[in-house]
Amino acid sequence: MLRETIRLHMNEVPYPPAQSVIEAARRGLSNLNRYADPEELEGLRGLLIDYCGVSKPRVVLSPGSDLLLREVVHTFSQGRKVITVSPSFFPTAQTVEKFAVERLSLRLSPPTFDLNLELLMDALDGPSLVIIDNPNNPTGRTLLDRPGVEAILEHRNALLVIDEAYYEFSGVTFADMAEDHPQLTVIRTMDKAFSLAGARVGYAIAGEAFGSALSSFYAFLPYPSLCAAMEALRQPDYMRANVRRIVEERERLWQILDELGVRVYPSNTNFLLLKTEVPDLVSRLRDVGVLVSDVSNQLPPGFVRVTVGTPKENNTFVARYMEVR
Amino acid sequence: MRKSLGLIVNPVAGMGGSVGLKGTDGAMYQKALELGAEPSTPTRTRDLLTHLKHKDDVSLLVAPAEMGEQYIEGFVVPFVVVGEIGQETSAGDTRRIAREMVDRGIDLLVFVGGDGTARDICDAIGSRVPVVGVPAGVKVFSAAFALSARSAAEMVDAFIEGTEVTEEEVLDIDEDAFREDRLASRLYGYLLVPEARRFLQPGKTASTVSKSAVQSKQEIAGYVVEGMDLETLYLLGPGTTLRAITEAMGLAKTLLGVDALHAGKLVGRDLNERGILNLFERYEQRKIIVTPIGGNGFIFGRGSKQFTPEVIRQVGAENILVVGTRHKINQLDCLRVDTGDLELDEMLSGYIEVTVGYREGMVVEVRC
Repeated sequence: MLRETIRLHMNEVPYPPAQSVIEAARRGLSNLNRYADPEELEGLRGLLIDYCGVSKPRVVLSPGSDLLLREVVHTFSQGRKVITVSPSFFPTAQTVEKFAVERLSLRLSPPTFDLNLELLMDALDGPSLVIIDNPNNPTGRTLLDRPGVEAILEHRNALLVIDEAYYEFSGVTFADMAEDHPQLTVIRTMDKAFSLAGARVGYAIAGEAFGSALSSFYAFLPYPSLCAAMEALRQPDYMRANVRRIVEERERLWQILDELGVRVYPSNTNFLLLKTEVPDLVSRLRDVGVLVSDVSNQLPPGFVRVTVGTPKENNTFVARYMEVR
Repeated sequence: MRKSLGLIVNPVAGMGGSVGLKGTDGAMYQKALELGAEPSTPTRTRDLLTHLKHKDDVSLLVAPAEMGEQYIEGFVVPFVVVGEIGQETSAGDTRRIAREMVDRGIDLLVFVGGDGTARDICDAIGSRVPVVGVPAGVKVFSAAFALSARSAAEMVDAFIEGTEVTEEEVLDIDEDAFREDRLASRLYGYLLVPEARRFLQPGKTASTVSKSAVQSKQEIAGYVVEGMDLETLYLLGPGTTLRAITEAMGLAKTLLGVDALHAGKLVGRDLNERGILNLFERYEQRKIIVTPIGGNGFIFGRGSKQFTPEVIRQVGAENILVVGTRHKINQLDCLRVDTGDLELDEMLSGYIEVTVGYREGMVVEVRC
């Protein structure tokens, strides 16, 4: 019998968007011959400003937050040392490798994967562009706190970009600081918590030092994505309820795996990082219809990243892990 | 094009593990048998053959009986048996048959075993043909091995598809020390291995193929050479990344030894502690350049005989430069030091910036 494939490899939310969001996207589809209306893009910006609780900073829209991160690296890496953490969101790491001339990464070491802020401060010895995903992907750890961010921003030569793709799960944000700190930009996405991975709506809350340069980055959103995003922002409670379910489920899955003797690391996201002695776990699980993420390009052998799915998906994952281990 | 593959299995590798012996060197094999140890190599060998996609594109030369022949029953692959063995197999059989297979023109040698088997293959064929090592030892430390039988099959497939080959480490592990829970290893040599760093990346953006190991080492070498001055004595530790530095300068380095450079010239080759200390009498400014050896990340380990505590102290912690490809550093939890001098180990612990590319550093923790 064919088994249904379970997708626990891309950190998607397993729940579809609200019906009204799907209907809004459908309305967008009926206008596929049109570019998004600039006024409606302004409308989305307004909703995002309200959602983020910021007053009037520049909100830059993008079809996917990874494109914004790429734009930041393209625009600001020249003449600056680009400082990142390792491991980190892989597309960012790749962009930095390709386009930045001078690069420094701070290795997050198991078992704690902590960021040593002192090392980061030492590295800020000239013009720098610091990019940190907070919480970090793939470790799931929150790396920064407010005093840490303030300390980085005291270095006037440093630009700081914080990727908050998993903000809704961690509850930790520095978006409100972008107004008073021109060197700070916070980048977020509606792909994850808002169940809109297929719509690809990313945005930045950009401090002044970025704002003028990023304003040339003018990306139209696909019309259905724009409509879906606006509708989703009008009912954030739907998203918040999903986030609560996933966080509860994450803790349940953590507990089960821990009891099975799997090394599981604490997470502030919708995924868990595991360390197992099972060789080829990713391939073995793929053979039995469970997709999880191979992070062996950034971490020592044995580490695997697993997205938190529905309770049923997670139970199946555990059962199939037992089969193949 | 059809490729000719050799297959050699060390039937006793890994038998110590199930009975807690940590290796089957020397008399330990007999002890393992007495304790009722089961061989792990048959399963590994069959796993390898099961997962091989390009079975139709290979012909096999296999070692006789339990050294290969008996595991390929049921797999439809043309094969020829090479060599003869007696009642009990030995390291000598591995070496002899490996040489014979290479003489007969195999394109790739697949061997199943542990670190000891890798050393035998290294002795027998060196870099004459690439190899794929299937880990079946108790604890396999040499980077020349695939992670598992299945990833070994992927490496064989990648080789058939025409991937590049790269040099990977073979380590000499002191099993007696390992039984006492000490990891005493030294770099024994290198084997040529298909470069199959493909990982399953189902990401949103296409996964670009990162630089090859050779390219990365050349980049590191270029950057290090640019930063060299004419006054300093540079002591280069073992390893292919260090060899890339001398190659960039048009010089030849001993792969396993410590060599010394000054003002663009080699002023010492394969030095021991005495030789290094003698050079210190002539050169006041000194730097050590090392790369981590083995999967545990030792930059100064028990096996590193030349960089003794005395040598390291005279150079000073601030004059130690660590280099390594990003791929290699990413495979480590951290860097480690174990010089045998606890006070020095503590002094070397902390964080160090490793040169991982041209103008690219990674700050990594050093533990002892």
